[in-house]
Amino acid sequence: MQVPLRPEIDTGTGATSGERARAMIEIASVSKRFETSGRKSHLALSDINLTVDDGAFVSILGPSGCGKSTLLYIVGGFVAPSEGVARMKGTTITGPGPDRGPVFQEFALFPWKTVLGNVTYGLRQQGVKRGEAEAQSLRLIEMVGLKGFEHFYPKELSGGMKQRVAIARTLAYRPSVLLMDEPFGALDAHTRTRLQNDLLNIWERDRKTVLFVTHSVEEAVFLSDKVVVMTRAPGRIKQIVDIDLPRPRIRAELLLDSHYQKYVVDIERMIDDGRDDAEHS
Amino acid sequence: MTSARSIIAKLSPLLACLGLLAVWQIAALWLDTESFPTASHALQTVPQILGDPEQLLNILDSIRRMVIGFSLAVLISIPLGLAMGRSARVSAFFNPLLMMIYPVPKAALMPVIMLWLGVGDASKTLVIFLGVSLPVIYHSFQGAKAVEEKMLWSGAAMGLNGLQRMVRIVLPAALPEILTGCRTGLVLALITMVTSEMIARQSGAGNILFNAMDMAQYDTVFAMIIIIGALGIVLDAAFDKLRWRLVKWAEPHQEILLGAS
Ligand SMILES: Nc1ncnc2c1ncn2[C@@H]1O[C@H](COP(=O)(O)OP(=O)(O)OP(=O)(O)O)[C@@H](O)[C@H]1O
Ligand SMILES: [Mg+2]
Repeated sequence: MQVPLRPEIDTGTGATSGERARAMIEIASVSKRFETSGRKSHLALSDINLTVDDGAFVSILGPSGCGKSTLLYIVGGFVAPSEGVARMKGTTITGPGPDRGPVFQEFALFPWKTVLGNVTYGLRQQGVKRGEAEAQSLRLIEMVGLKGFEHFYPKELSGGMKQRVAIARTLAYRPSVLLMDEPFGALDAHTRTRLQNDLLNIWERDRKTVLFVTHSVEEAVFLSDKVVVMTRAPGRIKQIVDIDLPRPRIRAELLLDSHYQKYVVDIERMIDDGRDDAEHS
Repeated sequence: MTSARSIIAKLSPLLACLGLLAVWQIAALWLDTESFPTASHALQTVPQILGDPEQLLNILDSIRRMVIGFSLAVLISIPLGLAMGRSARVSAFFNPLLMMIYPVPKAALMPVIMLWLGVGDASKTLVIFLGVSLPVIYHSFQGAKAVEEKMLWSGAAMGLNGLQRMVRIVLPAALPEILTGCRTGLVLALITMVTSEMIARQSGAGNILFNAMDMAQYDTVFAMIIIIGALGIVLDAAFDKLRWRLVKWAEPHQEILLGAS
């Protein structure tokens, strides 16, 4: 019943499919060069063009150090591109804002706040009353499986628990775009699967736009509308793959689905090709 | 669950004090010179000094100057240190100045300061202020510099502006380091307090101490050393208790875990 045997592949321009509304994020000819301690500069990103539609779930895959985090930081407004522009709803991004919620690879929790204090922080900042903010936060903490740990400090949590607090902290203030940098990287397989499902539920319910960095091809295919495959440094977009699998996606069914399997194998092959390129050059 | 070990740990400062006094007592009895009174003699003189209203006022004068000098120093040094830690421009501006002041013993500035401000409270408070400022600036600077950038980014994404990030993220994140600086500053405040009064004899604990020295009242000299030493120990212990309350979230190991669930 599903059509494409060979996944459709966009040219690197990131042309919109045109079916769904307008672009939420546009990244146009973005390059990023870091000045490294005087000697020579390092080109982290080169000529990135990508459009993320409103409500789309887009994953970024690529070898370590190819600039995935840097790309998220540019969209977040934390880092300015050396060339090109990033736009949000047509407006050039010049700084961070609560419309874009980052979940950092390093968690970056506030160590002087408890789990509850961390999750409540953004809501309190937006002027939500303490009682209401705490009620909402407690629901999120329960969702990420940390019920009973509300009053723990970050240093008393494991890596995976910190990661879940970081996710809850960002979800709490309801950004319309989520910028997630390997958010499930430190989790065990079971929790990972659960949180993937929870994230999909939230995404389907709230129609958030998600830009999601991961090292797991399965995860990217399972979650995404589009998978962006990047090359080794300098990071360029190698290919953009539209994932044409029906939603809602049920993990158990999908794992047996031949289209799903084909996407996974094809994308893995693309990443391997990239590795060969790097070795030969 | 108080084990024998934890009781010993709690009593150990007291035991150390008693041990020191015992050694003193034995050494003084053995040497038997007038310039080295026994510990018991010196201890007996303590209530005499504290009971004398004039002497007590002198000591309270000292403490007042110390509190004012310390508070002003902390109030100015923490924001300055934090600003230096987060802004290369602020740091480049103040660094040369601080590098110059840093190695100078603050008490050595006392004569010049006295020339300008007289021998009264102002000079002494200023010297205490200078003594406290540098460690507090330095530690605030280090603390602010070490704040993880992603933490500030998280705050910025939640909508905190520059000043709010400074007060609500940099300050608490650097607090353990800041308080370490303040603790050093507190001890330095006591030291500069006594030295300043030694140089500008007019009032204060240092004044009593050195006047007694000149008049060969050795009981009073040693009693004053006990009083000043005790003051230092009590202040330091009290401050450490406060510090622990404020930054228990950062302490590497203790048992909040047990209380939380
Ligand atoms: N602040 C910086 N200064 C200099 N170079 C930087 C800086 N940040 C990143 N880089 C460089 O840019 C490149 C891309 O870094 P980035 O963190 O974006 O990679 P990544 O794809 O997220 O890697 P990983 O998968 O390991 O997280 C790396 O080579 C890194 O050394
Ligand atoms: Mg990264």
